Amino acid sequence: MSDIVLKDVSKSFGAVSVLDRVSMRIESGEFIVFLGPSGCGKSTLLRMIAGLEEVTEGEIHLGGRRVDQLPPNERGVAMVFQNYALYPHMTVRNNMSFGLQNVGTPKVEIIQRVNDAARMLEIEHLLDRKPAQLSGGQRQRVAIGRAIVRDPKAFLLDEPLSNLDAGLRVRTRLELAQLHHRIKATMIFVTHDQTEAMTLATRIVVMNNRQIEQIGTPMEVYSRPATRFVAGFVGSPAMNFVPIKSITDVGGNASISFAGQPPIHTAVPFGGLPKNNLTLGIRAEAARISQDGSGIEGVVDVVERLGERTLVYCRLPDQTTLVAEDNGVSAIQPGDAVRIALDGNVAMIFDEAGKAYHAVVQQGG
Amino acid sequence: MSAVESQSADAKAATSSARSRAIKSLDIGGLILTLITVIFAVLWAFPIYWGMVTSLKPESQVISDTVEFLPRTWSFEAYWHVMVNTMIGRWYVNSLVTSLGVTAITLVTSALTAYALSQLRFPGRTVLWFLILASFMVPLTALIVNHFILMAQLSLINTWMGVILPQLIHPVVIIVYKNFFDSVPKEYREAAKMDSASEWRIFSRIYLPMNWGVTTALSIVIFIGAWNNFLWPFLAVSRPEMMNVAVGITQVNDAFGVQYARELAGAMMAAMLVAVLYLIFQRRVTQAIMLSAGVKG
Ligand SMILES: Nc1ncnc2c1ncn2[C@@H]1O[C@H](COP(=O)(O)OP(=O)(O)OP(=O)(O)O)[C@@H](O)[C@H]1O
Ligand SMILES: [Mg+2]
Repeated sequence: MSDIVLKDVSKSFGAVSVLDRVSMRIESGEFIVFLGPSGCGKSTLLRMIAGLEEVTEGEIHLGGRRVDQLPPNERGVAMVFQNYALYPHMTVRNNMSFGLQNVGTPKVEIIQRVNDAARMLEIEHLLDRKPAQLSGGQRQRVAIGRAIVRDPKAFLLDEPLSNLDAGLRVRTRLELAQLHHRIKATMIFVTHDQTEAMTLATRIVVMNNRQIEQIGTPMEVYSRPATRFVAGFVGSPAMNFVPIKSITDVGGNASISFAGQPPIHTAVPFGGLPKNNLTLGIRAEAARISQDGSGIEGVVDVVERLGERTLVYCRLPDQTTLVAEDNGVSAIQPGDAVRIALDGNVAMIFDEAGKAYHAVVQQGG
Repeated sequence: MSAVESQSADAKAATSSARSRAIKSLDIGGLILTLITVIFAVLWAFPIYWGMVTSLKPESQVISDTVEFLPRTWSFEAYWHVMVNTMIGRWYVNSLVTSLGVTAITLVTSALTAYALSQLRFPGRTVLWFLILASFMVPLTALIVNHFILMAQLSLINTWMGVILPQLIHPVVIIVYKNFFDSVPKEYREAAKMDSASEWRIFSRIYLPMNWGVTTALSIVIFIGAWNNFLWPFLAVSRPEMMNVAVGITQVNDAFGVQYARELAGAMMAAMLVAVLYLIFQRRVTQAIMLSAGVKG
């Protein structure tokens, strides 16, 4: 009953098009994350759902009702702003009550609801303070509290964690996940932080360049990115892209080779692949420093020791850089000649336009 | 608000520590500057001092051959005279009513106009804004004859309303308010909209309270300006019982010939309220003058 449907939603500011025919369906109770680089239109899309920005074209439906022409307060959504926008001259209690007062909620009920929300968020002791007397994390809770008391159909959060320091960010992220679990409301969360997206989302909407690149669960987006952009944007370190010299058909699957290197057998079906200008995509964890002398050759440029693993930046003979992984305890030094074993089973292939070709999904995978 | 207060507390702490440092390393240049400042302050304050001293002398000692910096005999006769023989009480009431009226009405209308210009989109908005800016260029005195004729036609001569109405033209107040409303981050407005607040609620519960500092500063300046205003209240009123203090004290002179002590006693009493107000709200007044000066500059 609080599902959100976007149908071919477009937005232009004057002559500048910011979003181009965006469509999606968000189920009731989902935690959706809009992920994408700066300026790709995440906030604009969120603000259109909130009613703070007009829709140039297309339709927005909320709980089965078309809302794109309604003012924000009639849509039944609540928004948490990046800078929280707590009214500075009002106490926390008044900040949380303001919306209810405006719609004439009885006093007793307002007090009840504010107290309930404050208890849930553990900000009861802050109710009589002004926003200036709160820490960043506390302000953040109040901003969420202000949204909760209105009991909205959907919560819209625009980079709500970006003003917190690293430690608090992680903790608040966790609490947000717990909160979502508890109140089971639909949430849309905007971020350009992929860790936030991966950890919070039931589904991620990856956006780039006015459009949606992919909608999928965090693992889908990570393991089976739809495009080269998604593959490169999600995951750290970024996925390796290596130009393919030639491909051959080995038992129905593509076997690829780079310039002057032994072939790699992938699980990507050969049929349907274009034959030219292909790129191999492989994550660092599937490119291991080989212990037995097999694999492709490279020379080590940089070594990054992360503790539990080591990232090895290698230069291949064709001058492509490839990030490989080694164990946490690794003797590798810059300048070493190494061999890298690529796990063809999880490799993917991109065509010239950036479309991804994957291995056939196994059951349950 | 409290952020602002704590900031200014910090600033105060900073200046006081800066002051103690300055005292330790007092140099010749600073000394000379201080001396010059003191001389100017004395020059500036002397007429006020002289007026006060004179008002406390008996009329017979006012004109004498020697310069007397203090009265030979202290006398409140002049004050007594002004209080008993003139309508100064009534004039005070008139001044209070008209000045408060001017202040209140100017603030309410200007704040509302500024809010509309700053936050609402309506046809004619730009034209209205330019009209207000243009009216800023017309000195009020240039319109004073028109004002008189208009008030006469409305039969408002010798009434409080007649004194108040032409003094309500304060484009600079609208401009200051608009600047402040413009600089409120738009998220507050958006948050309020999501909170179902009407425009009136956004204005009265968010924008106005977020700018209380401006309102108090402006109100003091408008009030003092209206209280000290002479020309229009002088023209708009001929009946002594409707006069403002500033106008009324000239009557002390008229009725009794040149009586310096009495005249100055009247002036002192007229200025008293403003002086006290100024002392109490000194910081706000300076702030307000800087606000409107910033706009004018
Ligand atoms: N009011 C506006 N007028 C004109 N252009 C705008 C306006 N608001 C946003 N834009 C443009 O629309 C594009 C998308 O902006 P948006 O704020 O949605 O990006 P975003 O994905 O949220 O970026 P970020 O991660 O930096 O917040 C940007 O190129 C921006 O310059
Ligand atoms: Mg944004």
